[in-house]
Amino acid sequence: MDASVLLALRDPAGVPFYPIVFQILYILTWALHAAFVLLSLGAMGLSLYGSAKGNQDKHWSILTPHLIQTGKISVSILIVLGVAPLLFTQVIYDPNWYVTNTLSGMWIFIFVYTMIVGYCMYYWYYYAHKAQRTGHSLIGFVSFGILVFAGILMHSFAVTSIMPHDWMNMYAPNGIVNTSGWTFNMDIIRLAFMVSLAIPVVGIFLQNYSRFLSTRKDFDASFISYSAKLGTNFAVVGLLISAVLFVLWMLQIKYLFHPVSIATIIGVLVLLAMAKTNRNSYYTTLVLVVVALLISTMRELIRFDIMSALGYSIYDYPMNLEIPSIVMFLSTFLIMGFVGVAYLLTMAWKVGKREGVFDGSKDVVVTKLGQATLYIMIAWMAIYFAWGITTLFKNIL
Amino acid sequence: MDIIGQFPLFYFPEYGSAWMMGITGTIHILFSHTSVGAAMLFAFLAHKAYKENRSDYYPYMKKYGMFLLIFSYVLGSITGPGIWNTATAASPRGISALIHNFVWVWATEWVFFIYEVIGVFVLVYFIDRIDRKTHLKLTYTFALASVGTLALIIGIISFMMWPGTQAFYATGSASDAFFGINTFPHMFLRIGFMIMMSGVIGLVISSSMRKENEELSNELSRKMGYISIIGGFITMFFFVWYMGTLPENAHAVFAFSKDAIIQNRIILTMVFIAYFAIAIIKPKLINPVIASVMIGVILISGLWSGEKLRESMRKPYVAGQYIYSNQIISRDVPGKNIKSELPIIAEKGLLHLNPFVPARLKTITDENKREAGELLAKMACSNCHSLEKTGVFRPLKDRLTGMDKEGIKSILYVIGEGGMSYMPTLKLPETEYDAIAEYFASLHY
Repeated sequence: MDASVLLALRDPAGVPFYPIVFQILYILTWALHAAFVLLSLGAMGLSLYGSAKGNQDKHWSILTPHLIQTGKISVSILIVLGVAPLLFTQVIYDPNWYVTNTLSGMWIFIFVYTMIVGYCMYYWYYYAHKAQRTGHSLIGFVSFGILVFAGILMHSFAVTSIMPHDWMNMYAPNGIVNTSGWTFNMDIIRLAFMVSLAIPVVGIFLQNYSRFLSTRKDFDASFISYSAKLGTNFAVVGLLISAVLFVLWMLQIKYLFHPVSIATIIGVLVLLAMAKTNRNSYYTTLVLVVVALLISTMRELIRFDIMSALGYSIYDYPMNLEIPSIVMFLSTFLIMGFVGVAYLLTMAWKVGKREGVFDGSKDVVVTKLGQATLYIMIAWMAIYFAWGITTLFKNIL
Repeated sequence: MDIIGQFPLFYFPEYGSAWMMGITGTIHILFSHTSVGAAMLFAFLAHKAYKENRSDYYPYMKKYGMFLLIFSYVLGSITGPGIWNTATAASPRGISALIHNFVWVWATEWVFFIYEVIGVFVLVYFIDRIDRKTHLKLTYTFALASVGTLALIIGIISFMMWPGTQAFYATGSASDAFFGINTFPHMFLRIGFMIMMSGVIGLVISSSMRKENEELSNELSRKMGYISIIGGFITMFFFVWYMGTLPENAHAVFAFSKDAIIQNRIILTMVFIAYFAIAIIKPKLINPVIASVMIGVILISGLWSGEKLRESMRKPYVAGQYIYSNQIISRDVPGKNIKSELPIIAEKGLLHLNPFVPARLKTITDENKREAGELLAKMACSNCHSLEKTGVFRPLKDRLTGMDKEGIKSILYVIGEGGMSYMPTLKLPETEYDAIAEYFASLHY
C-alpha cells in the first residue's frame, strides 16, 4: 500500500482540529478504556476461582460476589470508555480503521453479538451466584470465555489495522477479490502481554479494596488482611509475567531500547516495588495509570511509525478548523464532565465508606457538587437550544 | 495516478451488508429510547415520591432500574458502538463523513454517556443507601444527561437524511450541518417515543408487582397508561411536522408505499390506544406476558419498519446528501473543499479509480468481463440490493426479472442520466456498463 493510496483514503472533509490533539486524546482514552478491560478480565477471572471454591471459605464467600459485581460494572464502563478511542482513531487513522472494518466485516458483526451474549450471560452468572443456583460457575466460565473471545476479536482488528502492507493481499489474494469479511489476524505475544496485565491490575485493585474497606467496622480484620495479601501476590507475580512478555514483545518489534519502552520498564519496576511493599495502594494506582499511559503511547508509536514509513503522517492531514463544536466539547468535558463525575464518585465513595444510609443533604461537598451539576446541565440545555435556534434563524430567515 | 478514496468492499451474500446495520440499529433504538424515557420517568416518579412522601414508589423504581440496567445498559450500550461498527463495515465513507463533521459533537455525547453509565449504577444500587433528597437531585441530573445524549445524536442522524438547509455546503460548519430544519421536529418526535416507551416498559414492571402490592400495581399501571398515551400523542404530532421538513427525494420514496405505511400506522395507533386505555381503565387485565408481547409488537411493526423507511427515504444518499449509499461523493461541498467524484468516474470508471481493485481487473477484457461486472455490481449496487438469484434484501432479481443484457443496459443508462430520483446518478464508461449488464444477464433473473 503506497502513500498515494493511503492519502486518498483520508476523508475529503479533513480533520476539524489539530491532529495532535486527537492523537493525545486517543492515547489518554485508550488507557482509560484498557484499565477497565483489564479490571473486568481480572475480576471476572478471579471470581470464577472464588465461585468454584463455593461458600465454604469465609473470605471467598465475601470476596466472590464483590468481584462479580466489579466485573459487571467494569464491563459497562469499559464499553462506554471504549467509544472515545474508537472515535478519535477514525478521525486521524481513518484508512486503517475503515479498511480493517471492511476486511473483517463478518467478525465485526460477530463481535457485537458476542459481546451482547457474553454480557447477558454475565448478568445471569451474577444472579445465579447470588441465589447459589446449581451450575452458576459453569455459566460464569462460559460467559467469561465468550467475553474473552470478544477481546480476541478486538485484538485482531487492532493487528489488521497496522498491517497496511498486507491489506491488498488480504482483500484480493492472488488477484481474486474476496468480499466475505472474514479477515482475522493475531499477534500472540502482543495479545499475551495485554491479557497478562489483567493479573497485576486485579492485584492492585484488591489492595485498594482492602484499604478502602479497612475503615469499615462490619468487615473482619482477617478478611482485610487476606484480601490485601492476595492482592500483593497477584500484583507481584502478574507484574513479573507482564514484564517478561513486554520485553519479548519489544524484542520482536525491535523497540526494546526506545525511550518509551525503557520508561515503561522502569514504570513496571517502580510499580513492582510499590505493590510488594503495599504502603499505600492509592499511590500505586497513580503509577499504574502512568504505566497504562506509557503502554498506550507505545501502541500509538508503533502505528505512527508504520504509517510514517509508508508516507502517511497524521500531522499532514488537511484541516478545516471547526471552533464552535470543540468549544462545546471542551467546556462540557472540563466543566460538566469533571464536576458531574466528581459528584457521582464522591457520593459513591461516601456511601461505600459507611454502613446504613448516607445523608447526602447534610454533606456539604456532595450537596454543592450535586447543585453545581444540576445547574451546569440546565445551563448546557439552554445554550444548546439558543445555539440551535440562532443557527436556524440565520439560515432560514 | 487517479484514485478515489474507496475502501475494500464487504458483502454479505443474499442480504448485502446494510441489513446488519439495520438489525443492530433497530435493537439499539428500542433500548436507547427506553433508557432516555425511563430517565425522565424516574425523575417524575422520584419527584412525586419525594413531594407526596410516597415511599412505596421506591421499590418500583429499584425494580425498574434493575430491569433497565440489563435492558438498556447492557444491550443498549453494546449496540450503540455496535451500530457504528456494523455501519462502518457497510458504509465506511458514510460513517467517515459523519465522524469528520461531528467528531466533537460525538465526543460531547461521550461525556454525557459517562455520566449516564456511572449515574445509573449509583441511582439503582444506592436507592436504599442515600437520603431521598439527594436521590431526587440525582434523578434530575440523570434525566438531563440522558436527554443530553439525545440532543447531541439527533443533529447527526438528522444530517444523515439531509443538512436541512443549503448553508452547510457553503460554510462546511458543523453547526449548520447539525441544526437543520428537521433537527428539532426529529428531536421531539423521538422524545415522544421515548416517553411512550418508558410507559410501555413500565407496564411490564408494574404488572409484575401485582402479587406483592395489587393496589400500587394498578395505580402505577394506570400512570404508565397515561404516560404512554401522552408520549404517543407527542410522537404523532411531531412525526407529521418532521415529515414536512424532509427533502423531495425522501417524499419520492415515501410515495411508493405511502398508502401501506399510513394503513400500518393507523392500525398500530388503534392497537396501542386500546392497550393504553385498558391499562388506564382495567389495569388488572395487563400482565407481564401481554406487556412483553407489546414491546415485541413495537420492535417489529413499529421500529423495524420505521427504520427501514427512514433508511429508504434517505436514498440514494447515506449522509448529508453528498455521499451516495455506494460510497461515492456525489456533489461539491465548497465549505469543506470536497469535490464530486462523479465526473472522474464517468470518464475513467470505477475499476480504474478504486485502489482496491486488483491489477488484473483494472482493464476489462473478454476473459474477465463477467468477473469485472460482478465486482462492479457489488461496488455500485450491493449497498442497497442483494445481487444473487436467491437474494433477499431489496433483491435485483425482482427488478430485472426476465431482462436481457440490452434491457438491463438501458436501465443503467437511465440511472446514469439521473432518471430515477432515488437512485444514484452514476454515469460509467461504456465498458463498465457493458460488464455490469453482462454479469446481471448471466444470472438469468
